[in-house]
Amino acid sequence: MSPTNAGVWCLERGTEGYPPALLELGDDAPERLNGCGSERLVRELAFDETVTIVGSRHPSSYGLEVAEGLGNLLAAAGLTVVSGMALGIDAAVHRGALAAGGPTVAVLGGGPDVVYPRSERRLYERLVASGAVVSEVPAGTRPGPGCFPRRNRIMAALGKMTIVVEAAQPSGSLITAEQAQGLQREVGAVPGRVTTRVAAGTNALLADGAAFIRDAQDVLDRLLGVGISDARRAGPSLDPDLARVADAVEGDATSPDAVALATGMGPGDAAVALARLELLGYLRADAGGRYARTTLRIPEAATTLTP
Amino acid sequence: MLATTRTFSLLGVEVREVHVEVDVCQRGLQTFSLVGLPDAAVRESRERVRSALENSGFKFPQHRITANLAPADLRKAGPSFDLAIAAGLLVASGQLPAERLDGVVLAGELALDGSIRPVSGALAMAEAARRLGVRAIAVPAANGSEAALAGVPRVVPLERLDQLPLVGTDEQPPDPPPFELSLNGAAPNAPDLSDLRGQPYLREALEIAAAGGHSLLIVGPPGAGKSLAARRLPSIMPPLTRSDAMEVLRVASACGPLGRNGLSVRRPFRAPHHTISTAGLVGGGSPPRAGEVTLAHRGVLFLDELGEFSREALEALRQPLEEGTVAITRARGAVELPCRFMLVAASNPCPCGRGEGSGECECQPGSMRRYRAKLSGALADRIDISVAVDRPTAVEMGANGGADSAGVRARVAAARERQERRLGPGRCNADMDLAELRFAARLTRAAKRTLAQGHAQLGLSGRGHDRVLRVSRTIADLAASERIDAEHVARAIALRRRGAE
Repeated sequence: MSPTNAGVWCLERGTEGYPPALLELGDDAPERLNGCGSERLVRELAFDETVTIVGSRHPSSYGLEVAEGLGNLLAAAGLTVVSGMALGIDAAVHRGALAAGGPTVAVLGGGPDVVYPRSERRLYERLVASGAVVSEVPAGTRPGPGCFPRRNRIMAALGKMTIVVEAAQPSGSLITAEQAQGLQREVGAVPGRVTTRVAAGTNALLADGAAFIRDAQDVLDRLLGVGISDARRAGPSLDPDLARVADAVEGDATSPDAVALATGMGPGDAAVALARLELLGYLRADAGGRYARTTLRIPEAATTLTP
Repeated sequence: MLATTRTFSLLGVEVREVHVEVDVCQRGLQTFSLVGLPDAAVRESRERVRSALENSGFKFPQHRITANLAPADLRKAGPSFDLAIAAGLLVASGQLPAERLDGVVLAGELALDGSIRPVSGALAMAEAARRLGVRAIAVPAANGSEAALAGVPRVVPLERLDQLPLVGTDEQPPDPPPFELSLNGAAPNAPDLSDLRGQPYLREALEIAAAGGHSLLIVGPPGAGKSLAARRLPSIMPPLTRSDAMEVLRVASACGPLGRNGLSVRRPFRAPHHTISTAGLVGGGSPPRAGEVTLAHRGVLFLDELGEFSREALEALRQPLEEGTVAITRARGAVELPCRFMLVAASNPCPCGRGEGSGECECQPGSMRRYRAKLSGALADRIDISVAVDRPTAVEMGANGGADSAGVRARVAAARERQERRLGPGRCNADMDLAELRFAARLTRAAKRTLAQGHAQLGLSGRGHDRVLRVSRTIADLAASERIDAEHVARAIALRRRGAE
């Protein structure tokens, strides 16, 4: 595909509309910010309501689920979600934000009109249609070595907070976190399994004192103050049997057999309950048929089961 | 002098009548030519016939011999023409009175010492002989019992060529006893469901699949008992009817002699390796040979590691799955082979096999996506039920096995009976067309609501919707309920195939 200049706009440093947050990079602030998609979104970027989420290109399904959920709920809460459109976590974050119809900005390593990675072309098109993509390099530039660490400083500068979902050690996501720290920005990390390689970096960040991010609510409490905004949408109320099954799934029972074992139900009844919860939006199943909880909150009345 | 004898040529699992005309001409050089599109095995028949005749105390005529296999445009393959050619030679050379073979068809391969070897397709030949209204069929003794199933007035089992003059006389060998068809389905040494430890959900899925004839995909890590479970599926399927059993035998007979001792007719289980070629899977070649789908007729075709099969092979499975027959078309005509089978497939959850939910999976997103795409592309719209399994826990492994096949089979048979009453004999829920589905799927109001939720929340496609309806019909049949309830729909939704919409 030959790159085109159609639809590319540019914000120059020192002119009106250039994101003030970037000026904090000092001499290292990009001369110009080239973009595609909504120029207005970038011009009106509110620093206090912008959050950067990054992570591994080889995430686990847990990481993807968390990333998509964060993107979705934070965008739904009105924050602007910034990420890098890379495979894995970054793409999941954008997808989640787009699904919520919320504003989201991708910072690219190459020109703003160069789709990289190519397999994310559909995502790129959606971003241009209802969000924005920006880059400091001119239109048509293919990303080369060195582009991405440079790109990371822009992401770190744009967000009031930078959250890492999954990162091995060392990794580009950790570079972003370091740069955010250098800019006195808050850094958060999502905890992972201590035995998993893709969680080594995030767990190390937590050990070093990064904010502990379990869900979107943790982010909102940090950014806006505790109790200002409730992230999780509540679902319909559940009868006690269904609530018990949802509880079992949260307790790592992912198949009908495991749920049956955990709750004492028959496997057929467990399957029915799982299907009902899936229909209500409380569960999601992967292609292999294994269930996991979604971020949908169970209303209080139904959760007071355990004596 | 000219003589004509009758035999059959095997084409797939069907046979065509072939006339063998033998002319022994006193003038000319001493030759033996064979015409009428014979293949190599048939052409070599000349050498076998010559030796067998001489070693059986007959004289091989030292004259110009021409044997013609009619119709001449049908390609003849295999060694089963030997006996008819030898008989024609004996009649044409005056060593055997022609009347003896009036209304008799013959099939058999000759050994050089004059003994007669069994042939493939003897059952189909005997059935064709009955339709032709012949007086008797002479077959190798080893094929006697299968031929006797067909109901020809007389079956003459021959051990050696020198018994041929006895055919049509009072001294001909007595009719062999036909195979005993034990149709109760409970073959004594067949693998039983009680071997499956734990896995109650998989058991239910197997029962539902067997009850409705639904194709099934089992997803789980190595060692979860996927193929162990699949192998036990025939044991919970309803017993074969007599006509189904004859179809199974006819296919088995066409692919090799059935042997002399009564075998119990059970539902076949075929598990081809994933390196199998397309022709090996659905049949093909020239002359056309039956593939695994035909060998699995009325039984189970098990594809382990579904994602590893070649795309072409899986694509080629579509039409047989839908139509229940394979048509192999060659320049010299088409052959149709039966293939009504239940498809069971198994797959690892991801390329490394550990499963992404396990927390140990280290598959790259790219390879995962390719694996998924292949898996969900493969026969996506032909698989009704998908079930995830885990390795059984240590407690489950140590426990006694679960219930055995007999009880499950009884429930399955009862559910099938309900379906046959609704749809007609031999039919099951899996092969309902859309009109039948609309008629058969009587939903309660709550069930309709559940299904509507499925559309809204899960984005069920039209096809996915129909599959859920078919499976919930079966679940209701197992519960002996005419109406489909919300619970039946919910279970069918839990069993649906994901990521294939």
